[in-house]
Amino acid sequence: MFRYLMAVGLVLFLPGLYALGLSLYDGPSAWMVDSQTFWGTPISLFVFWIGLAHAGTLLSAVFVALDIKLDRRTALIAELSTLSSLVFAAIYPLMHLGVIENFYMVAPFADARGNFANVRSPLVWDFCCIAVYALLSLLFFVTHLKARKTPSLEKYRKPMAWLLFPLVLWVHTIVSLDFATTFVPEWRGAFFPVYFIAGAIFSGLALVNLILCTEGYRVRLLERLQLICSWFMCAIWIWDFMLKGSFCTSAFVFAGLFPQLRMVSVIRENKWGRVALSLSVLLGLFLERLYLVSPEFGSSATATFGWVDLGLLMFSVGGFMLVFFGARRLLDRYAESAGSYFGEVDGSDMAKAEEAEEAEREGFRGIEKTKKGFYIQPWSSEEYRQLRFPLLLGVVVTALFTLWIFEQQSFENVELSFANVIPLWYPLFAFMAALTLFVRAYFVEKSFVLHRAEKIIGGALLLCLGACAGAFFAGGASEKPVEQFVRDMDAVSGVHAEDLNRVAMVWNARCATCHGTDGRFNEKFVREYYPVPQKLDLARLDSLGVDSLVRVVWNGRNNMNSYAGRLTLDEARGLVLYMRHLAQKVPEEETEGKK
Amino acid sequence: MGMNRRDFIKSCSLVAMMGLLGACRKIPLDKIAGEPSLKQFQDEVRLAMSQTKKMLDLVKVSKPGPLRIPGASSVNRFGMAIDLDLCDGCGECILACNLENNVPLVTAEEAQKGHFMHWMELRGGSPLMCAHCGNAPCEKVCPTGAASHTPDGLSTMMYKRCTGSRFCGANCPIKARKFNFNDAQKMGLARKFNNEVPLREKGVMEKCSLCLHRLQNDRLQFKTLSAEEWRGRGVTTACSDACKRRAIIFGNWLDEKSPLVREKLPT
Repeated sequence: MFRYLMAVGLVLFLPGLYALGLSLYDGPSAWMVDSQTFWGTPISLFVFWIGLAHAGTLLSAVFVALDIKLDRRTALIAELSTLSSLVFAAIYPLMHLGVIENFYMVAPFADARGNFANVRSPLVWDFCCIAVYALLSLLFFVTHLKARKTPSLEKYRKPMAWLLFPLVLWVHTIVSLDFATTFVPEWRGAFFPVYFIAGAIFSGLALVNLILCTEGYRVRLLERLQLICSWFMCAIWIWDFMLKGSFCTSAFVFAGLFPQLRMVSVIRENKWGRVALSLSVLLGLFLERLYLVSPEFGSSATATFGWVDLGLLMFSVGGFMLVFFGARRLLDRYAESAGSYFGEVDGSDMAKAEEAEEAEREGFRGIEKTKKGFYIQPWSSEEYRQLRFPLLLGVVVTALFTLWIFEQQSFENVELSFANVIPLWYPLFAFMAALTLFVRAYFVEKSFVLHRAEKIIGGALLLCLGACAGAFFAGGASEKPVEQFVRDMDAVSGVHAEDLNRVAMVWNARCATCHGTDGRFNEKFVREYYPVPQKLDLARLDSLGVDSLVRVVWNGRNNMNSYAGRLTLDEARGLVLYMRHLAQKVPEEETEGKK
Repeated sequence: MGMNRRDFIKSCSLVAMMGLLGACRKIPLDKIAGEPSLKQFQDEVRLAMSQTKKMLDLVKVSKPGPLRIPGASSVNRFGMAIDLDLCDGCGECILACNLENNVPLVTAEEAQKGHFMHWMELRGGSPLMCAHCGNAPCEKVCPTGAASHTPDGLSTMMYKRCTGSRFCGANCPIKARKFNFNDAQKMGLARKFNNEVPLREKGVMEKCSLCLHRLQNDRLQFKTLSAEEWRGRGVTTACSDACKRRAIIFGNWLDEKSPLVREKLPT
């Protein structure tokens, strides 16, 4: 089954890869449909996939945090789908850039030139949130996977879930702020965060339900949640319509009306019916994102959904199927049998499995659980004890980072308020807390051991990260090549080839006595002096710069007299440029002389 | 299936390699074309003017005061006023701007759609360019800080810092920002008329700079020769130079002697 799905994924992925390559080569004009819209398909796809990437964390983290039991298999699948979606959610914002190699400038990270990202921009918030979200999701998934073999890891899942739960909401709020903070009338609105979170959860649920169909079982709770989400989305769409008059009919039909068919038992009980319902939701939500990012898609004659756009869509869908089902097959092989890894499938066994797990956990924690249901005693709970120190460290680091940002020179000419930095707080805080939690777990509490292969992979990743950070710090070359710069300078200063004769005359009249007509010293005369004048050398001229050399000519230096009053500024400038001209000649003559 | 696993993987990776090869965008697959002629620039301006744009709603704005950003100058705020009663929509300013700032041409199909790179355009019959807003929406959303404000009131672009996220373009209220979709130099659409302004590379945003280079030159010269406060007196922009009816006036809003304040202020 998974093999066939992977094959389908491959069939979609390869032409999609070509479309991706073409759009990387051509740049944004490959898919761009209207230069007034500017963004187009990749950003629609980004919003779509980042929405899908919320399934795992919602189902796993939120349910773990709130003690809602979901069987292990569903949770793992959901987490895996999060990670696979995140891969594609990360590709699109990167590939849509005009100058892709400059992407690191978006990270709030000072570089060697003292440049700093504009933390007032939602894109910077986005970059940080998604990076942290991807990292913590990966950590959460790995913990979950390893916890089966090392039960001592189980106790870190709940603190992690509590860190991830707000992060899910935070990330999607930030994604919605990309739109909500702009001046575009269709995108404005304080309800955008709620709208985006609801849409994300809705699409994430649809994806998980779809994947569960391929697994051959169903979770009624998730199907019901999906139905409820559709009502919520309909309400928002209708409200948006009444507010601004913008309405995406196809989204309403596919993601608003069709999911209601779940209330018909024939469709609900049929596997293909459920597949169709989930697919229709996904399709509807994709169309909605397309409409959201570029409202002209349908109406304008110049805006057409071209084959590159289709290819980009195919790339992500096919790629997701490849990555997800590939990883799914690997998991199957990694575990001896699916059952041992993926818990009980049948709902009736759930209660027993739960009880057993509960008893096991209480046993190893060695404390009595007094709570029942949703009630949590925050300050005396195990999670809080676990998280206390990491939380403190996170707060401290976040505060220090905020102070540091306000010290940055880049913000001397820019209004920077606390409100601009707040979006960065939680990701940084969560990242630090999770890092501390695991560093402590590994080095202090020694709750788990890493295998040799894992150590190597981890080390390689850290090394890679360090190398990237170093490269970003050093930054790319921003200067023109020196030759180009000099050519431009010459052009600007107005000394052209025809002027060279005039400047040469001035040189011969004023300078040649000491410096020689060819720029080499008049040795007989100059050796009397100390210090000896510098040799004419292109590198030295470049390092001094035209202006400071003009000043030397003007004011004199050491044994050289001041020429102020004897030369005009233009002449002095011309002489300096002539020196460059001579310096280019000198080495050639010297080599000839040696021959 | 006649294909074994090894061959299948081989062919797949071959196709993937071909896709990746297409991604190497720095490879000059096509030859670098020559420079366009001046006439092409003139024709393009004529074409742009023949295409009607929707009318704009005119609103009254008050005289700009000093900028309210940290580090702003209290004596200089450069700006421009266009007298719509005087303007007859001749389009000379557009051509002058294009030649001054080396604005590239666009391809024929882009021109058909009305997407030009012109920093100035006629909308509703009147010239319109970047308004250099005091509290500019584009600068707020630029992730890298490539769009920023000078202390004396210009909204500027650092082309080397631009990563091409096009967020500024999406957030510009008057849609005055232009994105370099094409590599104009390679396609033979760009020509360097003015050495003081760099040619922009593919993938960066650009827009009206209020002839920043002229201001900078004047400032440098002024500061070398005199100890007084520089007020940018006597500096003009290419478009205001080109305007025969003197409808476009460039100046310093905070300088009483500036033509902008003397001539154009509503009484």
